[in-house]
Amino acid sequence: MFNFSSLVQKAQSFIDPTQALNISPSDRNPAKSTLFRHQFRLPDSQTPLQEITAEITISPPVAYSPNATQGEKDKDRDRGYHYEGKLHLSEAYLCFSTQPTSFLQSASTSTSSGFTGQTHGGGPGGNGFTLPLCAIRRVERLHSQQYQFALAITTWNGLTNSPTNDAAKTPAPQQKITIQLAGTRQACERFCDGLKKRPQGWRETKKDGKKDSVPPDAGLGMIFRYPGDHKKLRDRSKMRLWGEYLRDYGRNVTLIRQPTFHKTYPRRMKVAILSRSTRSKKDLNRSLPEYPGFQSEEGIGRLRRVLTAYSWTNEEVGYCQAMNIVVAALLIYMSESQAFFLLSTLCDRLLPGYYSTTMYGTLLDQKVFESLVEKTMPILWDHLVKSDVQLSVVSLPWFLSLYINSMPLVFAFRVLDVFFLEGPKVLFQVGLAILRINGEELLDAADDGAFISVLKSYFSKLDESAHPKSENAKLRAVTRFQELMVVAFKEFSGITQNSITEQRMKHKDSVLNGIESFAKRTSIRNLGPDSKRLSVDDLGSLYDRFYGVLYERQQRSQIIMEETERRDRAQRAKAAEVVTGLSENQVVEKGRVGLGPSPTLMDYDGFREFLAGMARWAITDSPSSPGKDNTSESEKHSYFGNSVRRREVSLSPWGSGNPEPANHEFMQRLFRRWDVDMNSALTLQNVVTGLAHIKGKGDIMGSITYFFELYDDDGDGKVDREGILRISEALLFLSRRGLEGSLTPSSSMTGLSEYEADNPNPYQPEGMQGNTNERFLSSVSAFIRRCFEYADPDHPQNKVTEVEESTADSLADPDSFGIGDDSDEEEDLLDLGDSSPARGKKPTGIPSIPAASDKSNNGNRSVSKAHAEAANAALDPSKPLHITLPTFRMVVLADELLEQFFESSFPASFRISDKMVAPASSSASSLTTFSSIGFGRSTPQSSVGGTSSAGLVPPGKGLRGVLDNIVTDGMRVAAEVRRRMDEAQKELEQNAVHRPDDDEDDEEGYDEPRTPGGGNAERTVRSEDRDLLEGADAEAMSLRGQDGVSEVKQQDSLNPTAPSAARSRSASVVSSKVIEFER
Amino acid sequence: MAEATAPKPSSSVKLVLLGEAAVGKSSLVLRFVNNDFQENKEPTIGAAFLTQKCNLPTRTIKFEIWDTAGQERFASLAPMYYRNAQSALVVYDLTKPTSLIKAKHWVAELQRQASPGIVIALVGNKLDLTNESSGSGNALGEDSETDAAEGENDDGDARKVSTAEAKTYAEEEGLLFFETSAKNGTNVTEVFTAIANAIPETSLKGARGPGATQSSANRTEDQSRVNLTGPRDSASKEGCAC
Repeated sequence: MFNFSSLVQKAQSFIDPTQALNISPSDRNPAKSTLFRHQFRLPDSQTPLQEITAEITISPPVAYSPNATQGEKDKDRDRGYHYEGKLHLSEAYLCFSTQPTSFLQSASTSTSSGFTGQTHGGGPGGNGFTLPLCAIRRVERLHSQQYQFALAITTWNGLTNSPTNDAAKTPAPQQKITIQLAGTRQACERFCDGLKKRPQGWRETKKDGKKDSVPPDAGLGMIFRYPGDHKKLRDRSKMRLWGEYLRDYGRNVTLIRQPTFHKTYPRRMKVAILSRSTRSKKDLNRSLPEYPGFQSEEGIGRLRRVLTAYSWTNEEVGYCQAMNIVVAALLIYMSESQAFFLLSTLCDRLLPGYYSTTMYGTLLDQKVFESLVEKTMPILWDHLVKSDVQLSVVSLPWFLSLYINSMPLVFAFRVLDVFFLEGPKVLFQVGLAILRINGEELLDAADDGAFISVLKSYFSKLDESAHPKSENAKLRAVTRFQELMVVAFKEFSGITQNSITEQRMKHKDSVLNGIESFAKRTSIRNLGPDSKRLSVDDLGSLYDRFYGVLYERQQRSQIIMEETERRDRAQRAKAAEVVTGLSENQVVEKGRVGLGPSPTLMDYDGFREFLAGMARWAITDSPSSPGKDNTSESEKHSYFGNSVRRREVSLSPWGSGNPEPANHEFMQRLFRRWDVDMNSALTLQNVVTGLAHIKGKGDIMGSITYFFELYDDDGDGKVDREGILRISEALLFLSRRGLEGSLTPSSSMTGLSEYEADNPNPYQPEGMQGNTNERFLSSVSAFIRRCFEYADPDHPQNKVTEVEESTADSLADPDSFGIGDDSDEEEDLLDLGDSSPARGKKPTGIPSIPAASDKSNNGNRSVSKAHAEAANAALDPSKPLHITLPTFRMVVLADELLEQFFESSFPASFRISDKMVAPASSSASSLTTFSSIGFGRSTPQSSVGGTSSAGLVPPGKGLRGVLDNIVTDGMRVAAEVRRRMDEAQKELEQNAVHRPDDDEDDEEGYDEPRTPGGGNAERTVRSEDRDLLEGADAEAMSLRGQDGVSEVKQQDSLNPTAPSAARSRSASVVSSKVIEFER
Repeated sequence: MAEATAPKPSSSVKLVLLGEAAVGKSSLVLRFVNNDFQENKEPTIGAAFLTQKCNLPTRTIKFEIWDTAGQERFASLAPMYYRNAQSALVVYDLTKPTSLIKAKHWVAELQRQASPGIVIALVGNKLDLTNESSGSGNALGEDSETDAAEGENDDGDARKVSTAEAKTYAEEEGLLFFETSAKNGTNVTEVFTAIANAIPETSLKGARGPGATQSSANRTEDQSRVNLTGPRDSASKEGCAC
C-alpha cells in the first residue's frame, strides 16, 4: 500500500505531463528543450543546461542482507549495474537516460513523449533517472583512474525512509549513484561547474524532503483488506521485492528505472502490491460497491468526498457514472487525496473526454478501437459487420471503467497498473487481446447477446489455466490472465501511444460531428410546443446560430485572454498544429458542443451578436473597434483540426469579420421579454420560444400585440408617452437598413443617391413609391402623431390646459390655413408641396437615425427634450397620457406601411434559415449612398473593408435626436389639432396664400444634405418655415381628428395625380414636415 | 412455469430500457430476470446486457435486454443500444415529475430514430413509494394483481405523477402503460409479458413453426389492445418464465 502510493506518484510523473501543457511543438521541428522536457517529463521551466555522455554505476546496497529466496537476483545486483547514456542537467533536475533517441536529428515530439516501458519496446525515456536536485544530498568527486571525472551522488532516499511496510524493516541504506563522466576534460569541468552552480536548490528543498517522511495515507485496503486472497505467501515475497527495489533504487522522485524495474513491474506480473493471488472468485466477481469498504460509512464517505471534490474542481466534467467505480477501485489502494489527484490525471490527461458530458473521448476511443480491430483482425471484423454486432456495445464499458467492471478486480488492477505505467494504449492492447484470444468463439456468435456472453464467460475464467490440458506443468500454470497480458503486449506491441493518437485525430471530427448532430436532434426535438410554430429547418438553423454564437464568444474570450501570451511565443503557437491529439485541443476547443460542457446560456452581449447574425437592424452603425485585426493577421490557429475553417485571431470582442452588434433599447427589451426565467440569460428554449412568437405563423394582430407588450412595462395594458416615443424609435431602428419582406422589392437596396440620380424631378410620384425607407419614416411620424392624438390622458383635465398653452404657438403660425378640411384641391396641393421636402431632407434623417449608443441617445434626448418641453406643453410629464392596445392597433392599421411592417417585414427581419445575404454589402450599399452625398464622411473607411457594419453614420447625431424632434412635432401637432378643430374655417381661407412658401422650402431642402454641418444656422433662419409646416401638419391632423382613419382613403380618392400613391404620400407628407421641424 | 411438451416457436426480441438516472431501470430488469431487488444498486456503465425468456401460450420470447445507463451524458450512447431494438421500456419515476419529461423525450426519440414498429412501454416505477401499494410486501405472482389496482386517487405519499396524466400521454402516443414496483415486484412481469404479446409476429426473427404465424398475430393484437386499457387485464396467467 505504501509502495503502491509512491508508485502511483511515480507513474504519474512518468506519464507525459506535456500532454496537458498544451504546448506541443510541431512534430517536425521541435525545440531541443521541448524534447528534453518531454523525455524526462519535466516541467516547462526546465531547459537543458549541460549534457555529457556518462556511465552510471548503481552500487549494490551495502546494508542489505539478501533474503535466501532471492539469492539469484541479489547476486546479480551485487555486481552493480552499469549503464551508459547521457547525463543532463537542467535548472532543477539531473537526468540520465540510456536512450538518447530524443536528441537525435530524427527525433520528434512523439518519440520523445512516448510512454516508456517494456511493453512499448523500450521507450525513449528508457532506463535512467530524473533526479530533482533537491533530492540530492551530496555530490562527491571521486578519483578514478579510468575516467577523469567521477561523481558520487547520494540522495536523501533512505534517510527519509519510514518503515511502513514489512519490507522496510531493515534499516535502509543510502542511495548512492556513481556517475563517471566521459568526455574531454573541459566538458567534464563544465558540467561539474554547472552542477555546482545550483546548490541553492538543494538546501531549500532539503527541508521539504524531510517533511515527506510522514507516512502516507493508505487506501481502504488497510481497513477492509485488499481484494484477493491474502493468505498466499507469494504476496509477501512480491511485496518485499518491491520494497527492496524501491529502497535500493529510490522511491518517488529518486527512483531509478532499470531493466529490472520493468521486469519487476507488470510484464512479469510481479506487482505484488496490487495483484494478489486469485483464489476467491466470488468476491472478485462482485462489483465494486460490494467491496466491504464501500458498504461502510468510511468507504462511502471517502468515495463521496473524492468525487465531490473532483466535481468541484472540474465543474465541466462534474460527475460521470463510471467515475465512481474507478475511484472506488483507487480508494482501495490509496488515500483520498491520492485518489483525487489520480482521478484528475485520469480525466484531464490520460482519458481526455472520457467522462465529459458528451463522453466524446469514450466514443472516440471506441471508434479507434474499432478501426484497430478492423486492421488487426479483419476476419473477426467482417463477421461483426456481417452479423450486425456493434463492437462498442461490448467494449465501451471496458474503456470507460478501465476494465474494473468487466474483469475480476484483481486482474483489473493489474491492467490498471500497466495502464498507469504505460498509458492509455494499454486499454487498446488489452481489448484487442481479449478479442484475439476469443476470436474463434466470437466468430460463432451471431448477435450482440451471444457476443457478450462469450466474453462474460471468458472474464469469469481468467484465473483458470490457459492450457489446462497441457503436458507441460509450467504451461499449465499459466493463467488465462497471464496469457491475456502476453498477447496484449507481445502481439499488439505495435499499438503505441502514437498510433493511438494518430487514429484519434483521424476519427475525431466524425465522432464530434456525430455527437453534435445527435445533441442537436435531441435538443430540437425537446424544445416544446412553441417550437412547432417554426419549421424544422428554422429550428436547426436557430440551434446552429445559438450555439455558434456561444461557441465563438467563448473562443474569442479565450483567445483574447491568451493572446498576449501567445504572441510572446508566436513561433511555438504557429507550430501547435495538433500533435498530441485531444489534450492539445481540449482547451482551445472548449465550448464546442461535441466536446462536452458547452455553454448553454446566452447573455445579453451574446444575444446582440446572435441577433446581428440574423437581422440586419441588429448590426451597429458605429463600430467601436475597427481595424484592430491587423496585428494578428499572421497568426492563425486551427481549432477543429483540419476540417474546420481557420480564423484569424482578433482582439475584437465580436471577432474579426463579424459585424459589431448594435445595442439598442429595443434589443434590450427583446432580451428581457425572452428571458422568461429572469436569469439575465437566454437558453435555446427561450430563444426559440421568443422567435416562435414573432415569426411563427402569427397574424398581424399577434405581431402588433407582441410589440405593444414589449413596451408595456408594467403590463397594465397602457403604454405611456415615453413608451410611444420608444416604440417609434424602435420602428425607425428596425427599419433603418430597409424593410424586409413583401414591401417594395428593392427597398433596402435603393439608396437615396441612386434614387435622386434616377429621379431628378422630385415631384415625380413614382419616386415616392420607390423608396420605402422614406415612406416608412413618414409612417412612423404619422404613427407618433396619431398615437398622441388618440392617446388617453391619464388625467382628462390636463387636456384643456394643454390645448390652451399651445394655442399661443399656433396663433402665430402663418401656415395655420394650410389645408382646408373639406377642400379637395387643397389636399392635392399639399401633397405635392410637401412631397419634395420629404425627399430633400430625407438624407439628414436617415443617417442620423441609426446611432446605437445609449449615451449619445440620452444626451441628445435630454437636450432635445428640454427644448421640446419648453416649446410644447404636451411633453410636460405632469400631464401623462397613454395609449392602449386597441389604440395602438388602430394607429398601426391606419397606415399601410406600418401594417405591412407588422404583418411581414418585422417577422421577416429575423432571417433564421437563409443566410443573411451578404450583410456587409447590403448594409454598406444602402449606407454608402449617404456617404456619397456627404453624410458618411465621419466614418472611418478602414472598417468598411472587412467588417460589414461599417457605421457610416456620424456618431454624434443620435437616432433619438431625430426622433425627439419628430416626436416633439407630433405632440405639438396633436395639441394643435384641438385648436384647429375650432378654427378650421379660418385656416381654409388662408391656405391659398401661403402655398408658395412651401415650394421655397422645398428648394432649400435640396441643398441641405450637402451641408450637414450648417444645420444650426439654417434652423434659425428657417424657424418661420417650420412654423408654417407645423401648421400644415396640424391641419392634416385636424382632418383626421374629425374623420378618423378614413381620412386617408378620402385623400386617395381625391388625389388626381397619383391615386395609388396618395395614401403613402399623405404619410410622407407628414414625415417630411416633421423632419423639417428639426432644423 | 408452463413447461410445454412440444417445443413452441421461440424467438428473441431485443429490448432496450431507457429513462432518467435512478428511476429503476436496472432494478426492473433485475426483478424480471432474477426476481431480486437491491436497495442501492450500482449505476449502470454504458449498458448492461441480460436475457430472460418469456413464455407465451403460443410461443417463447427470449428477451435480450439492454439496460442502459441513465445519466444524461450517456444519452448520446443510447442509439447504439436501441439500434434494431424491437421493443423499448421507457421508465420514469412516478415520484419525480422531471423523469416523466425525460421519458417523453425518449419516447419521441425512439419514435423518430429507432426501428419502425418498435413496441414502446411507458413504465412508472417505484409504485411502492405511494400509498396505493403500501402494505403489499408480496413479491410476485397472483398477489401482485391486487396491488395493480391503481386507483385514480392521488393521495400517495410520494407520488408526483398521476396515473391519469401518464396514461393519457401513453394513449396519445400509442404506448403500453404500466405502473410498477421493482422493489416488491408489482406489475414487473406484466410489463414484459405485455411487450412480448405486442411484438408483431412478423418482426420476430428466428421464429419457427410456420403455422403459428398467422393465428398468433391476431391474438397479439388483441392482447396488446387489452393491455392498453389497463395493466390489470394484462396480467396473463401465463406470465413469464422467471
